[in-house]
Amino acid sequence: MPEIEIILAGLGDAFQPVTLLFVLAGVALGQFVGAVPGIGPVMAMAIAIPFTFGMDPLAGIGFLVGVNKGGLVGGAIPAVLMNTPGTPDAAATAFDGYPLAKQGKPLKATKMALYSSVTGDTFSDIVLITVSAPLAILALKMGPVEVLGVMLLAFAVIAGLMGASLIKGAIAIALGLLAAMVGTDPEHATPRFIFGNFELYDGLPLASVAIGMLAISELLRRLSETSGRPRPAIALPRHQPRADRSVSWAEYWGCRFTIARGAVIGTILGALPGIGSTAAAFMSYASAKAASKQPASFGKGNLHGIAATEAANSSVMGANMIPLLTLGIPGSVSAALIISAFMIHGVQPGPFLFEQQGRLIYGLFGAMIIANMLNLLVGQLGLRFWARVITAPEPFIFASALLMCFVGVSLASGGLFGVGVMLVFALLAFVMSALGLSVVVFIIAFFLGPRLEISLSQTLALLNGDPLKLLNYPVALVLMALAAVTAVMLARRRDRGHDADENSPSKPDA
Amino acid sequence: MKLMTWMKSAATAAAMMLAGMASAEWAPSGTLKLQIGFGAGGSTDTIGRVVAQVMKEQTGWNVIAENKPGGGGVAMFTAIANRPADGSIVGLGVNMPLFVNLVNRPEQMKFDLDSFDYLGTAGRAQLALVARGDAPFDDIDGLIAAAKDAGGAPIAFGAKPQELLMRFISKQAGVDFQFLSTKGGAESSKLLLGGQALASFASGEHLPFLESGDVKMLASVNNVRHSYAPDTPTAIEQGYDIYVDPVYFFATTAGTPDEARSALAAALAAALDSDEVKTVVQNALQSPIDNLGPDGTAEMMKAGLVNTGKLFGK
Repeated sequence: MPEIEIILAGLGDAFQPVTLLFVLAGVALGQFVGAVPGIGPVMAMAIAIPFTFGMDPLAGIGFLVGVNKGGLVGGAIPAVLMNTPGTPDAAATAFDGYPLAKQGKPLKATKMALYSSVTGDTFSDIVLITVSAPLAILALKMGPVEVLGVMLLAFAVIAGLMGASLIKGAIAIALGLLAAMVGTDPEHATPRFIFGNFELYDGLPLASVAIGMLAISELLRRLSETSGRPRPAIALPRHQPRADRSVSWAEYWGCRFTIARGAVIGTILGALPGIGSTAAAFMSYASAKAASKQPASFGKGNLHGIAATEAANSSVMGANMIPLLTLGIPGSVSAALIISAFMIHGVQPGPFLFEQQGRLIYGLFGAMIIANMLNLLVGQLGLRFWARVITAPEPFIFASALLMCFVGVSLASGGLFGVGVMLVFALLAFVMSALGLSVVVFIIAFFLGPRLEISLSQTLALLNGDPLKLLNYPVALVLMALAAVTAVMLARRRDRGHDADENSPSKPDA
Repeated sequence: MKLMTWMKSAATAAAMMLAGMASAEWAPSGTLKLQIGFGAGGSTDTIGRVVAQVMKEQTGWNVIAENKPGGGGVAMFTAIANRPADGSIVGLGVNMPLFVNLVNRPEQMKFDLDSFDYLGTAGRAQLALVARGDAPFDDIDGLIAAAKDAGGAPIAFGAKPQELLMRFISKQAGVDFQFLSTKGGAESSKLLLGGQALASFASGEHLPFLESGDVKMLASVNNVRHSYAPDTPTAIEQGYDIYVDPVYFFATTAGTPDEARSALAAALAAALDSDEVKTVVQNALQSPIDNLGPDGTAEMMKAGLVNTGKLFGK
């Protein structure tokens, strides 16, 4: 740990007006692009990186971190207001957020998302600042076999979200895994299911699939339902009581355990590179529902559902920085972008980072905490703005959202090919919903599939044909046993019939 | 030293003049697209964007950087190979993914090496075979001995050619390795540092750990030694006649008129010689700029394809 003067100097740098300004600009931009369907903070960061070439390192990296953190808050906005999450992380936010918005309480829902997101984010930042070194060592000990255990546990927990029919849930998971197999296989580097399209060589573009299935399909469905005189997308009662426009302290405090659980899940999964925020968000949602005394109210506008998801997916980001700073290993796409920003400024993360760049790192820590505060501030203003926007007539809202999705996907996936993929998956989502197959379960399987496959392949290589070697991995065995127990418990509960039909994980009906 | 500096600045001046002269004679009729064969945010993207920016400043042309991801550049080069040769699009890609596909599935490829006019290279990814600092060996033969003792050794790799290089070595030395396929250098480093892999491949991620002593370098697996480790021999020097040399190169459609081609090559050379590009590329690749020029790039591509055939045993 560097000396106290260096820490203080770094924190002082974070309060430089230029740095503050860039962090603020980053947070505002992040919330904006997060809220607009289709673009998202990752794309915004990728586009912004070249602009940081000439900037002071702290200002440049602070800006990118601001975009990322703003995006975590912004991402909940379209999920809640329009039921069109741009990423799978926010899909579980829509489960409860959108029903609340339809009840005329969009501000309450988005504010809950904001508060729990900032709480989770701050928690994981504090973990990062205080105990990153021992956590990084722990993360290193989690090898391929242990990661496979975590993945199996994630699948088992998420299976709890499959809804009424086990068979239909299994079909959705299988289809998702099948889609995840498109592209080069990790074992033999043979392209699978690409049919001569080298655009698919690296797999289906994630943005196209997520936006196509989660946003476009919903927008198309809603467009097809509009008829007659244009109505506002969300109607707000004229004289809304304050309680419906805001989240009271009692409501926030009532969610404290849910938020804490989400933050812990997110931080643990975030510290393990490569697992990602999708798993964290859904594991947190599923466990909040399992722990709830009224599981039936989930999916109908329960604040706990929003709190669980947002606390978890936001806390992944701070924890992602643990392997990033100490080992130079990015845990996610946005972390990889932050590494490349470090590298461009001649700073290479690794064992000497805190010694050689202590001032920059503590400046960055300062900037992260400031960004969380600014997130609250900008959010308070921004949410009101978005809640106004959404009262515009439906045709305007849907048409502009569609346009943004097309633009965003073509940017993110390098042109019209990605847009084509998006439309194919929008159609697939439409067909799946019609057949009662859960689109969300498909998406989760699609996002977790590649990591599951690669850790399975690594595990098989390590075991080298001898299953008894598994005994050398006690942590992995415990995780796998836990996965099995969870799966059995969920199956039993399903058999007993309760909790089976009240929450279909496919989108809450509009 | 002084002479070198003088020669360098003279070369820069000449290149700038050439660029200036060339642009006086030839300029793209509209925008010049610098396409990048990878998505936004990675090292290739960084190189492409800074080159585009500097080229635009130096030549006054309207240069636009554009991402065309897919197959490590195969998708982009397929499009470039099959368009009019008017010098309005330059592609930046990495040679290895092209080689791998040209070797393994030539019938599916809509181009070959002759489909392009080569303009230059930005540099190479310096690919190292590394082990943990506390490993009881220092070179490839030591690794092989350790693997023989233990009845095998897990090796982490981030791309197929790296695995094939190790398979070539394992065949020659008669030893078994277990291959851990990863998503790239960062994940390979994690497995190495975590003790799950005995050796792994790294291209720059390992430098801070090399300095701290947590990691040691067994060999350069490029066909040359690395700029930061001039004392560590290549795999070839250690008796294994094989290499993996990922090079970042620029090319345009074959049959581009001579004046356009030389103007593009000169403009590119001038941009690559600027301090701004040098710094950014060094930082992004952990490896210096190395522009082979049009003819050198074409030769490198030919030799690289033959070597890749050898990697795949074809």
